[in-house]
Amino acid sequence: MKAALALFQTRGFDATTTKAIARKAGIAEGTVFNYFKSKDDIALHFFEQEVDQAMAAVRDNPRLRKAPLEEKLFALVHAQLEYLAPYERFIGAAMIHALRPSSPLGPFSHRAMELRHRYLRFVEELIAESLPEKDNVFGFLAPEVFWIYYMGALLYWLYDSSPGKQHTLAFLDRSLSLGAAMLRQGKQYGR
Amino acid sequence: MADEHSTSVRRALSLANAGMGVAGSYLGYALQRAFLGEADRDRKLKATHTRAARRMANEMKTLRGAAMKFGQTLSLQTGTFPDEMLAELASLQMSAPPMHATLVRAQFKQSLGAQPEEIFRQFADEPFAAASLGQVHHAVTNAGKQVAVKIQYPGIRQSLANDFSMFRTLTKAAQASGHIPRTAIDEVEQQILAETDYRKEADNIDFFQQQLAPLSFVAVPRVVREYSSDKVLTMSLMKGQHLDDFLARRPSQKLRNELGERLFELFYFQLLKVEALHADPHWGNYLFTNDAGISLVDFGCAKYMSQATVSYLRSGFLYPGSTRSPEFRRLLEKYYEDEGRELPPATRKALIRFAENFYRKVYPPNADPQAAFDFGDPQFLKDFLTASKELFRTKGVLSELIFMARAEMGMYQTLHRLKARVRTSELVRKYL
Repeated sequence: MKAALALFQTRGFDATTTKAIARKAGIAEGTVFNYFKSKDDIALHFFEQEVDQAMAAVRDNPRLRKAPLEEKLFALVHAQLEYLAPYERFIGAAMIHALRPSSPLGPFSHRAMELRHRYLRFVEELIAESLPEKDNVFGFLAPEVFWIYYMGALLYWLYDSSPGKQHTLAFLDRSLSLGAAMLRQGKQYGR
Repeated sequence: MADEHSTSVRRALSLANAGMGVAGSYLGYALQRAFLGEADRDRKLKATHTRAARRMANEMKTLRGAAMKFGQTLSLQTGTFPDEMLAELASLQMSAPPMHATLVRAQFKQSLGAQPEEIFRQFADEPFAAASLGQVHHAVTNAGKQVAVKIQYPGIRQSLANDFSMFRTLTKAAQASGHIPRTAIDEVEQQILAETDYRKEADNIDFFQQQLAPLSFVAVPRVVREYSSDKVLTMSLMKGQHLDDFLARRPSQKLRNELGERLFELFYFQLLKVEALHADPHWGNYLFTNDAGISLVDFGCAKYMSQATVSYLRSGFLYPGSTRSPEFRRLLEKYYEDEGRELPPATRKALIRFAENFYRKVYPPNADPQAAFDFGDPQFLKDFLTASKELFRTKGVLSELIFMARAEMGMYQTLHRLKARVRTSELVRKYL
């Protein structure tokens, strides 16, 4: 995984071949295919891990059940970033670019879309749990906006050179508090 | 004259507010605390909605910080602040917002490398007190000890560094004209940044632990260094109540006097023997026990006095001769010389009047040792305020003197609320 990510970073996703990945990882090319169908598979697997473990961390945490929305969302995004932390050097803006909503169709982007839907459905659930009233004006927008927010947070995190990523923690807290407050306001206008 | 400069400073403050850090402007809040009266701050705090903010609001009333010093140094050099500036300051955002449990954990993990549960037997999710840059949580160590864990909001130090450089850039004009002295900004930056490193506070606590040992009625926390860092401070939990709760239990006059005398003694012991103050002696920095014990909290802004100041205080307190004598004048001049400054005549006259109109009354040099001053009578506060205003109107008051005035004010307000009767001269004489 690390070898693949390193090459994606230095050569770019498109220019990297499975042969190169195998060579860098010090294994036979055939061995790579035992685990992954293609390089797309590797990248996607990586992001799926990140998202799935973060959702589980939030879902399975009894303390978060009664927490306000901004805290649940913070826990989610923070868990994602904690997963990515060891691979920070290898994650490039290009990789994130591959996850943008308007990617061209193809097996990679199809699975990426599925991942995105799964993630956003989860976010929608979290919002619905905290703001149960039906007429939520911003409700239908929120999940899509959240995907873009997540990508923005990821970029912020990548470029954050403050010790211990302090700025990212503060940024997440402030922006999520603001966002949750806006959603609550939106509820009132919906009525 | 005032218009042009106050406009540039006002503009600087509003631009600075717009651009300051993601975590909000601590500088702004610091200035706000320095200049807003109780009423304005209360009004602003009532406007906040969230439950957490409301809970913190009560704590905020008792907070003091390096901001006081900023206010002191600024107002000293520039005279009174124009109203528009005060209004501008009033609109600046508060910083160090409350942290939810997940953020607290994230910050804890980032700073100490482990989750609170891995380090403590128990850790409370909700804070029990606010701190100027964060909040305080109860915990129990694996050894069963009750501790208070202070945790700082993320990103403050970095934001502050940015805020100050922006503030400097935007106030260039005001600096050039002397309305905002460059040195004052440097000084305050140092002090506020020091506050963001809890290890310095830990050092202060250790120092006062040792130095205040002779006073049996004073309790100082013990730092647990292995669970502390620059952003997390773990220390023993102090017993006692804040002044409001203490007064609500309707203590007897005897208890009030005893407590008042002990506070008073603590203050002068610190000034004359330790030559340092643990904090601004505002009631927010003390806890009181039912047997008139005093617990000290919040050592973030400990002040270490200069030698020149201590000598001046020692020779000036309870001065036996006439304050109009050439000897007394020489005393004042020497202090200024030692601090490398010149004593302007207006300031000298104001200092002498201060001695006559306030200190002679509250600390009569030839009093009966058992004579007690009644701090319940509001007149003394009025005298103090009048004399201070007059003094600060003159230019050239040393920043240490301003600090002293503010510190005394905090103590006098506490003594007034206690309506304590204190043997002032006797207690000062004890440590001269």
